[in-house]
Amino acid sequence: MADYLLPDVGEGLTEAEIVGWHVAVGDTVTVNQVLLEIETAKSIVELPSPYAGTVEELLVEVGQTVTVGTPIIRIDDPNAPAVEAPPRPEDVAAEGPETLVGYGPRETVSRRRRSGAASGSVLAPGHRPPVAPPAPAARPLASPPVRLRARELGIDLNQVRPSRADGVISMADLTAAPAATAPEMPPLKDREYREPVKGVRRMMAQAMVESAYSAPHVTLTVEIDTTHSVDLVRKLRQDPRYAGIHFTSLLLMARACILALRDHPELNARWDGEAITFRRYVNLGIAAATPRGLIVPNLKDAADLSGPELARAIQQLTETARDGRAQPADQAGGTFTITNIGVLKVDSGTPIINPGESAILAVGAIRRKPWVITTKDGSEAIAIRDVVTFSLSVDHRFIDGAIASKFLAQIAAYSEDPSGLGL
Amino acid sequence: MSDLIQLLTTDGVRVEDPDVAFAPDAALLAEHGDEAGVLRAMLRDMTLVRRFDNEATALQRHGELGLWPPSLGQEAAQIGAGRALAAHDFVFPSYREHGVAWCRGVELVDLLGLFRGSDHVGWDPAEKGYAPASIVIGAHALHAVGYALGVLHDGAVGTGDAARDTAVLACFGDGATSQGDVNEAMVFAASYNVPVVFFVQNNHWAISEPLTRQTRIPLVQRASGFGFPGYRVDGNDVLATYAVVQRALEHARSGQGPVLVEAVTYRMGAHTTTDDPTRYRTDDELEVWRRRDPIDRLAKHLRATGAADDAWFAALEAEVEAFGTDVRTRCHAMPEPSALASFDETYVEITPTLAAQRAEVEALLALDETAEVAR
Amino acid sequence: MTTLTLAKALNAGLRRAMEGDDKVVLLGEDIGRLGGVFRITEGLQKDFGEQRVLDTPLAESGIVGTAIGLALRGYRPVVEIQFDGFVYPAYDQIVCQVAKMRTRSGGQWKLPIVIRIPYGGGIGAVEHHSESPEAQFAHTPGLKVVTCSNPVDGYWMLQQAIAHDDPVIFLEPKRLYHSMKAELDPALEPGPLFASRVVRSGTDATLIAYGPTVQTALAAADQAAEEGRSLEVIDLRTISPLDLAPVAASVRRTGRAIVVHEAHVSFGVGAEVAAAITEECFHSLEAPVLRVCGYDTPYPLSRVEHEWLPTVDRVLDAVDRAVAF
Repeated sequence: MADYLLPDVGEGLTEAEIVGWHVAVGDTVTVNQVLLEIETAKSIVELPSPYAGTVEELLVEVGQTVTVGTPIIRIDDPNAPAVEAPPRPEDVAAEGPETLVGYGPRETVSRRRRSGAASGSVLAPGHRPPVAPPAPAARPLASPPVRLRARELGIDLNQVRPSRADGVISMADLTAAPAATAPEMPPLKDREYREPVKGVRRMMAQAMVESAYSAPHVTLTVEIDTTHSVDLVRKLRQDPRYAGIHFTSLLLMARACILALRDHPELNARWDGEAITFRRYVNLGIAAATPRGLIVPNLKDAADLSGPELARAIQQLTETARDGRAQPADQAGGTFTITNIGVLKVDSGTPIINPGESAILAVGAIRRKPWVITTKDGSEAIAIRDVVTFSLSVDHRFIDGAIASKFLAQIAAYSEDPSGLGL
Repeated sequence: MSDLIQLLTTDGVRVEDPDVAFAPDAALLAEHGDEAGVLRAMLRDMTLVRRFDNEATALQRHGELGLWPPSLGQEAAQIGAGRALAAHDFVFPSYREHGVAWCRGVELVDLLGLFRGSDHVGWDPAEKGYAPASIVIGAHALHAVGYALGVLHDGAVGTGDAARDTAVLACFGDGATSQGDVNEAMVFAASYNVPVVFFVQNNHWAISEPLTRQTRIPLVQRASGFGFPGYRVDGNDVLATYAVVQRALEHARSGQGPVLVEAVTYRMGAHTTTDDPTRYRTDDELEVWRRRDPIDRLAKHLRATGAADDAWFAALEAEVEAFGTDVRTRCHAMPEPSALASFDETYVEITPTLAAQRAEVEALLALDETAEVAR
Repeated sequence: MTTLTLAKALNAGLRRAMEGDDKVVLLGEDIGRLGGVFRITEGLQKDFGEQRVLDTPLAESGIVGTAIGLALRGYRPVVEIQFDGFVYPAYDQIVCQVAKMRTRSGGQWKLPIVIRIPYGGGIGAVEHHSESPEAQFAHTPGLKVVTCSNPVDGYWMLQQAIAHDDPVIFLEPKRLYHSMKAELDPALEPGPLFASRVVRSGTDATLIAYGPTVQTALAAADQAAEEGRSLEVIDLRTISPLDLAPVAASVRRTGRAIVVHEAHVSFGVGAEVAAAITEECFHSLEAPVLRVCGYDTPYPLSRVEHEWLPTVDRVLDAVDRAVAF
């Protein structure tokens, strides 16, 4: 099954209107058969099918204006390669689709060439029209060496009275100033401030409330020696089948969940008050922190993917989310979610289940820790191992502690010994 | 001369020209057995290139290419010129010469990289005798002249040794003839009498501008103004184009200097996939040229003369379809480029400034990876 | 009040300029019947005729050189260069002739020419279609260089540039042509052409951007706000002459400045802005002026162009460094 995403048919076009469909649901189509006509800001264009198979669903209607990258038709093509988003501008327009940009949480590092220390000399701007003089409310004036010295001495330049007529604080002024006795707090601008809640953040709030107050949550945790998983990731990175794919131990965790869900279908099911809907497929959600808030895009039919396909799909999903190209369809229809709280240097938590699902796994930070191991001769020793904590929340309306524990034990076992993952 | 040289009519009938005759060179004859074999091979060339071109247009619509410039309708001009080249000749193409590239042994799928944004050039220009595509209109005409000047200074013209004498082919369109660079190229070529053939595919449209916006006379007549001979050939007639370009290349190789060949053809498709030709030209005009289709006419000829039967055509059709599928599959499989490559390709040796910038990008890419682990 | 894309706003601006002054003529490749490859001149030849909207032969040097002659005859030519990378065949005419004609005539001639250039990347294009050549022209005395970042500015600035008596290089961020929409009120009175503008107020650092990167800077400021950091954003609008007053006023308040542009970092507009800020605001600076720009390589393959272009993350990273300095 494959979705055809609206391509950019002309250098920077970001949307098009659907003019007419040439096919209907149930039709058999061949590769390059004309599927529909679209009208862009530049012209009317026929779009040929990238896939061969049966039309499953027309995802957009005639007259609708859709943005580039939106799935427009779903075709049941068993040979389709994983749907790949076409290159498109990372537009950050004020209007249009929600734009998520950024590399995600990370620490700031200095990556730049540093210039040498500035001299204290004052340059006379002789070749430029004079600009307005400093406003009275301007920050304290001082050269970089004076600022550095003040910082070393713990002196707040705001408290220093300049002796120079032009108001610039000199080195001599610093020696006369009292050193700070305690680290200063940043000045309060307002005692309180309000930020409107909208977009992804509003959606997240609604979803979390809905879930937390409808499904009674139970959270179980387990701590595991995951050293072999870490080793396997390193090994797979050298494997030609995985060449060119960026992946991490998340791949192993995803695979472990997919396999364990087969044996524990309750955790892949949905409760609606009257019945439990079991699914014979896994749409694996992966929670992503983005600048606009938390989103949970999911991998459709993740259980059907081979190891390298899964790795590539996770890469694409994270790249899409990172680039802000995750579409509503990417976030709908999930059946089970993994959230990686390890990024925040956190070990365990009580994750809230994504609405429409019945379980969520939080993966903590992988830490080097002392661990009791059994050596080859059967004696016990303390070794430094890679250790991770799994926290699993389940919907207690129909999943009891026993089922949840078994599921958790199974993925813990996979994490300790990933040889059974078939990667 | 401004008369159109034609050796095969639109009905597929061979006709004589007082000056030029179709005489495939020894290598082509040896490869394909006899003249009929050469004609079948040329039809196959044209058909495969058209299938490739159609597939590339579709791949753009599939979202696999950022842009594609179709060669639809210009196959005879390109195959005729391409097959007339010797292995050691050198070609400076524009960006639409998919058929010439095919004749030079360039893997057609490698032409896609530039338009997919994944590769600058997918072949070794020196090995294939085929330069990278030139996007800035007409700039490469001067490069061709300079290359030909080098050939001249190397003494690789007029020796009578077919393995040594070399010609350079500069390909551009009718629009490019307005550019200063192209006119300067012709001045330089004439001034030094270099072995270059200016091969103008007059496809009648420079995006939306008709030929009449660029010239009031047949383009071939410009040659006499610069002081070298010119030929005007039916560019939808692969036999005539082959014969004329063959003669032009021989003229250059033998040390007699530059030649202009105007191949009169028609851009049946859009300028590129971002263009909408219905805004500026009529269906009537298109229909006139559809009847002059280069492939139809040679196919008619081969059928009429019995040089190719139904079985041969069926086999070709099967080959062509498989070829299209192969192009599509290999396009999907083209490797992603490295964001670091441009830092390594800017200078022969990376500068300290650029090395620092490269390190910055490398660190950012590593952060990407860390962020992925985090998720 | 109508909602227009940048492309439509520029079209409307051209139309109004042509209605207001019958000496305004347009020259360019494919700008007539086709309406330009980006459709900026759509419908203008139909309404104003072939003498006022000229489809030119395919020669950029010819277009600009001919425009000079038209201007000397009293016309106000507006030239369209099809893509940034195609301006270079006209470089001699622009830099040696357009820029110097007033000086060469001893100050007697004026040359009211506008050269419109779609510029910048991020549209998945092939080579020569994503360049940012502003520094080449800003470095040339005799030329003025401006750029719009939104439809409202596009509408007004283009009319003001056409009405201006000196030659103006008018850079249009092609990435925003069809993606950016805004409400336009033609009854409003526009601000001056050669003026920079604070488009978002903040206190912790000043982001200085223009054209396509204004949106990047605004997005960075949005995200920084979520992290509790307040960034001021200035849309330069005019590159040459530089309007330093709002920049200096801002940097004196924030103490930190970061210039964001797509063009190559070295010897670019960012270098000039940084030098000017250092000269004007030296005693207010808490950190050196930083630049977040395209790298010093030719514009890269489109599939990796977003690793090359300034992104929100690279901007925020620079903010982090400026604050930590």
